[in-house]
Amino acid sequence: MLVNSEQIIEALIETIQMVAFSLLFSAVLGLPLGILLVITRKGHLLENLPVFNVSNGIINIFRSVPFIILMVAIIPVTRLIVGTSIGTAAAVVPLVFYAGPYIARLIENSLLEVDPGVLEAAQAMGATPAQIIFKFLIPEALSSLVLAFTIATIGLVGASAMAGAVGGGGLGDLAITYGYQRFDTMVMLITVGILVVMVQGLQTFGNILSKRIRRR
Amino acid sequence: MIEFQNLKKVYTSGGQQVAALNGINLTINKGEIFGVIGFSGAGKSSLIRCVNWLEQPTSGRVIVDGYDLTALSAKEIREVKRNIGMVFQHFNLLNSKTVFANVAMPLILAKVPKEEMKKRVNELLEFVGLSDKANNYPDQLSGGQKQRIGIARALATKPSILLCDEATSALDPQTTSSILELLKKINREYNITILIITHEMAVIREICDRVAVIEAGKIIEEGTVFNVFSSPKTETARNFVSSVMNDQIPDSIKEIVEKNEGLQKIFRINFIGNSAGQPLLSQLAKKFDIHINVLFGNITELQGTPFGNLIVEFQGAESEINRALMFISQEKVTVKEVKAHAS
Repeated sequence: MLVNSEQIIEALIETIQMVAFSLLFSAVLGLPLGILLVITRKGHLLENLPVFNVSNGIINIFRSVPFIILMVAIIPVTRLIVGTSIGTAAAVVPLVFYAGPYIARLIENSLLEVDPGVLEAAQAMGATPAQIIFKFLIPEALSSLVLAFTIATIGLVGASAMAGAVGGGGLGDLAITYGYQRFDTMVMLITVGILVVMVQGLQTFGNILSKRIRRR
Repeated sequence: MIEFQNLKKVYTSGGQQVAALNGINLTINKGEIFGVIGFSGAGKSSLIRCVNWLEQPTSGRVIVDGYDLTALSAKEIREVKRNIGMVFQHFNLLNSKTVFANVAMPLILAKVPKEEMKKRVNELLEFVGLSDKANNYPDQLSGGQKQRIGIARALATKPSILLCDEATSALDPQTTSSILELLKKINREYNITILIITHEMAVIREICDRVAVIEAGKIIEEGTVFNVFSSPKTETARNFVSSVMNDQIPDSIKEIVEKNEGLQKIFRINFIGNSAGQPLLSQLAKKFDIHINVLFGNITELQGTPFGNLIVEFQGAESEINRALMFISQEKVTVKEVKAHAS
């Protein structure tokens, strides 16, 4: 085998860092955007079709660019923010541009599942729009939101491995440089194995958490 | 008190204008239970939702306890809403929160201090008889229990008005009457004005003081429950009344009567109040030379007053029948000749 266990552990830590930071930032971006997509649509809380149409369109544009292209296309932006376009920190930028709009869509879906009757009851009680969002909409969708974030996290694990291909580091980098380019099947198997375990673990954790919130 | 003044609501859907409310003028007095009945699409839902501004009218005014809602800001309307509770057909409880938290919600929104909030919620749960369910979740409750929680929640901020939007339409008959009992109790004990919209005439008969019939966005008939039930004026009102008070001659009897052509005459006799207790028919048979054939009859209680409805056939000489009718007209009953096949 061309790599030692230390290198594998280092790559694993890089992957975890990439996923964690990009999840954090894309949640910060995606959560408000997802809420916006719900409340500004026709007939909803703060109906505003221009805002809805513009945010909807922008999200669609980002969602239609393949991640590998997006990564290269926004290199100037990455340089501007991180100072470099290579390395783990640099990989976080395209990952956020990829996962942010994705999370916004997932959140939009979760929030739309909330019974409109509950929101009507909130309005009848004289709740302000902010109270409706934070005391009714989000608590009612919480269990489904947890599953949405689970899906997004797993998506990021996959995307972060791809980011490795352009020098982002992490398990994907290891798999490409040693497993693929230098024909080290063992490295390939180990990295893919670790990714499989990560995904299984994340999904199981998300399911349990969501179930606990739903209590059933 | 709720006052609708020339209220109109027009929806635009697919380029077409649809008038849900077409000039409603209606006053609901303080402390009464008022029912609005109509078929689906008649506009009753739009009407009730204009009271707490879930829907804004296109024109006209809604005056709630002296406040003209059309003249208020969004913030002021939220304040007025604290004084209006609403109960929904599908309960609209938060499934993610316990029964206690659901009832507490309006108090939390109104920023009521915690101790006071707890006291009030426990009081409300006691009132609706579900103290033991405080820590349960809505999906662990039956439909009737959910509606009791919905009612407790609606009463949390001690409103002066309670709106019931088809509150019993999703419930079975037995649960319906227990919920109606609860609404009556609320009206009695707290003197809360209750506005009910429904398509079930039984609900109106059970608890309302006054009733309005709505059709195509207009109030076509309005009056005390007794008056509307005992002498409905419009076709729609008659249909609603006959949906709960069977007052038609049964088909099989109609056939027999139609075969016996002859001198027979058919009358509808309505008894109201005490007159329902008099042996009128046997008096007629003794005093006059006529035979009386009862084709149909029932007695219903409306707002605590008995209301009897009889369809009888008089057989005999015309002069005797006329004398009998003269006698009846002196009693406190109304009598009307009807054809066998008509009402």
